[in-house]
Amino acid sequence: MKVLALIPARNEADSLPAVIAALRQEQPELDILVVDDASTDGTGAMLSALGVEHLRLCEHLGVGSAIRAGLRYAQRKRFDIVVRVDGDGQHPAGEIGSLIEPILANTADAAVGSRFGGAAGYRTPPGIRRAGQRVVSAWVSAASGVRVTDATSGFWAFGARAIRLLADEHPPGYPEPELLLLLARSGLTVAELPIRMNHRLAGQTTLTVGRLGLACAITALALLVMPLRQTTKGAGGG
Amino acid sequence: MASLLQIGAILVSGALLLLVIDLVRRRKLTEEYSIIWILCAAALLVLSLWRDILHVTARWLGVYYPPAVLLLVLIFFVFVASLYFSVVISGQRRQIESLVEEMALLDQRLREAERNRAPDK
Repeated sequence: MKVLALIPARNEADSLPAVIAALRQEQPELDILVVDDASTDGTGAMLSALGVEHLRLCEHLGVGSAIRAGLRYAQRKRFDIVVRVDGDGQHPAGEIGSLIEPILANTADAAVGSRFGGAAGYRTPPGIRRAGQRVVSAWVSAASGVRVTDATSGFWAFGARAIRLLADEHPPGYPEPELLLLLARSGLTVAELPIRMNHRLAGQTTLTVGRLGLACAITALALLVMPLRQTTKGAGGG
Repeated sequence: MASLLQIGAILVSGALLLLVIDLVRRRKLTEEYSIIWILCAAALLVLSLWRDILHVTARWLGVYYPPAVLLLVLIFFVFVASLYFSVVISGQRRQIESLVEEMALLDQRLREAERNRAPDK
């Protein structure tokens, strides 16, 4: 089994070295690919210095496109599993093993780590962000038929079928809630696992109130539109 | 007897039509994207030239002030054109995304090839 750790990064020069060091130390058998989404803080030069394999997008496209490019790379290099790890250090390298378990056991095509399920220590402080995250999660659960507690989580693992689908169809922009809908709708099984996550090492979260509002709107739209679309090629069911 | 308003409407819609055609002639506008504007200008021109059409349409629509139909037609075309261009822009956005992603992949393959050619570096 060839497993790739895919790190989409935009201006994460402060936290990326630690994230890569942790991956190399705790998961030495893993290949690493960083997709630099046109960073302006020297992330690109740092990646060469670290000697880590990377793709560099010459224009800022958003995390969805960065992941799609990474998945195409994985497809060409014939990786069996892709684990998406954020460049801000939120996703502990030690949890990758549990995240890919359902895929290795062939019980799911994709797995997503939840900050909220189980006895995990992470809690978004109460307020509009937490309320927004709950609304989006409930919405996505209802629409996809998969019960999720954390629809905005970026800690994902994709198996071969999911890689094949998403290398062409990964939603662009701010994609997490839509991703789950797309996978479920294309007849792929998604498992949600409780994961202990860290707080980000440096920099600012990109998940602002505005983005959550946008995620709500996109999810609502996807909920309305996706059943009208034809099921995408290369996927069973539907 | 033509009113000042009618003469104005004829001149403006005629000028619009000529402008669009000239833009196509100078290759500032491709034929594909000019059709919607030519239709718009032609419709306005027809409505300003034959006021009867305007009056009949106004009565049919229940509009008391016939020149308002001109505005209605204009707004309709502008709306359709904007929507059409949003579709075009969305398509181009997808193409650009795809291009940038493919370029990044090519760049990586190139670096890999260079690495393999000079293994002692």
